[in-house]
Amino acid sequence: MTDTTAGTPAATDGGDPPDGSDFGVGEEGSDDPRIEFRGGKWASTLPLVFFIAWAIFQSGVLGIGDTNGLVVGALVGTTLGMFLVRGDWKAYADTIFEGMTQRVAATAIVAWLWAGMFAQTLQAGGFVEGLIFAADALNVGASTFPAAAFILCGLLATGIGTGYGATVAFVTLVFPAGVLIGANPVLLFAAILSGAVFGDNLAPVSDTTIVSAVTQDADIGGVVASRFKYAIAAAVPAFAAYLIAGSAMAGVSLEGAVALRESANALGLVHLLSMGVVIVTAVVGRHIVEAISWGLVVAVASNLLFGLSSASDIVAFTVTEAGALSGLPVVEVGETAGVGGSLYTGAVGFFPLIVLTLLIVAMAQIMIRGGGFEAIQTFLLDRVATTVRRAELTMVLGTATINGMITINTAAEIAIAPYVARIGEKFNINGYRRANILDANTSALGYIFPWAGGVLVGYQVMVGPDGLGSQYGPEMVVNPIEVVPYVFHGWFLVAIFIIAAITGFGREYIPDRASEEVSRA
Amino acid sequence: MSVFDKFLAGWSFRGSTPDYAAGDAIEVMVTGESDGGVHVARIGDSTLRIEGAPGDAVDTRVVVDVESWDESSHTGRATYRKTVGGSAF
Repeated sequence: MTDTTAGTPAATDGGDPPDGSDFGVGEEGSDDPRIEFRGGKWASTLPLVFFIAWAIFQSGVLGIGDTNGLVVGALVGTTLGMFLVRGDWKAYADTIFEGMTQRVAATAIVAWLWAGMFAQTLQAGGFVEGLIFAADALNVGASTFPAAAFILCGLLATGIGTGYGATVAFVTLVFPAGVLIGANPVLLFAAILSGAVFGDNLAPVSDTTIVSAVTQDADIGGVVASRFKYAIAAAVPAFAAYLIAGSAMAGVSLEGAVALRESANALGLVHLLSMGVVIVTAVVGRHIVEAISWGLVVAVASNLLFGLSSASDIVAFTVTEAGALSGLPVVEVGETAGVGGSLYTGAVGFFPLIVLTLLIVAMAQIMIRGGGFEAIQTFLLDRVATTVRRAELTMVLGTATINGMITINTAAEIAIAPYVARIGEKFNINGYRRANILDANTSALGYIFPWAGGVLVGYQVMVGPDGLGSQYGPEMVVNPIEVVPYVFHGWFLVAIFIIAAITGFGREYIPDRASEEVSRA
Repeated sequence: MSVFDKFLAGWSFRGSTPDYAAGDAIEVMVTGESDGGVHVARIGDSTLRIEGAPGDAVDTRVVVDVESWDESSHTGRATYRKTVGGSAF
């Protein structure tokens, strides 16, 4: 009795397999190390290890979530690594540039800039007031608000394909409404992060989904379909957990909450249309930039048409003296000259994170060029992954660990993808299965720890200039370390894959079925 | 495979030692070479010896005809048919 598909296997195109070069991986990983370190290959991990230690000390121990502080930590770590290089330091410096110019960094940056402008414009258009109205009208109370936020944020993230973007939108727009209604801020922030995990993991337009499929020689559609079972198996208990925890955890008391409730405005709900445009446009396969741009157009038009905001709330040029152009709707007279408005604030809010992203991918590249990654791979194949179960556990825990350490989950995913491919292939584990292990644990760990990019972008909305803290008070700011245990979907997703590796749930081998031709995004 | 089938694929608990039958034509990744120079595909914790594969077949995907299979030791013997791809990395 055979337990695989008998007969002729599905046809493959026989062409060159995808090498992941579109995402800056593959070719680099196969080259010999170009940088030699004093202390050997492991010394190439110093910049990243130093940065992680800095991030843990700053955000975990001291509770300081300042992204600019992490930028300095990355700069110091990168500089320290250079002192360990043997010979010419130029190769080290060149590798910094090489890492920074990888496409994965640009992909994340573009998504953040557009998502930031979009989310801020919806906020300027009274979307929060609309959600407060809806929550009251639908009788979504404080205890059920986190569970509802998990589902809604999951849907948005699945639609727009960026968990970071969905986190920004929901922390900006939905989080204040939930807290003002009486939901626990820590639980609500965690529920939003869980929704982001769900979408990042499942969305066909997600950067992590695309990377997971391309690097494991699998088609994106097949990967999404095959991972549905894992996502649902984690989401159902996560939803139940938010309902239970929502009832058990008390909210905070905010001065002015009653006044803000009175400002509830049904008209703000028009921005459900703006969000719908983004989701639908993305799901039908449009590029994320196009999808968010259409949503932005609808949001701006709605704001102006329904009087939800003025033109200067969206773009404002402030001059110090009145002149011929000061009559324009986007020109204002003020004490200090400058540019403002939702487009400006939304995009500029991400500048620190963008710089941090560039530095992290540079540090990862130093590790690849220095041989640190290769050393880890050899150790894993020779000592740890000696049976198929141990191989899958190694893939799960290795992906989770590297994502737990590296702030930006897509960068971490790209770093670990070659190991997952090589270890999996040594046991003929199917590309779909490998892609699912890679992406689920990447998505999950990218939104749990205080230094994770998903947590930081949400936190940035709370503490940034004109952030929630300055608008509503310190109760609207959540310490990122408090969120860790409550990102239920993330934890459950990791648990599902540990169980799947042990029991064989969902396991497929290469002979079982061939991937369709990979469709690159 | 239909879209519906794609969603249903893998809804099962799969063992670590998959078995095959003589006459199966399967696609596998060649994972190594034995001491005698015969190529080997490790599928989970099962082992398939492949005869007639090119010298550089390790880390390539090939289609093979399974000639025999021992379900007690989860090992088998197959004949190389053609190369269809390579490693993802």
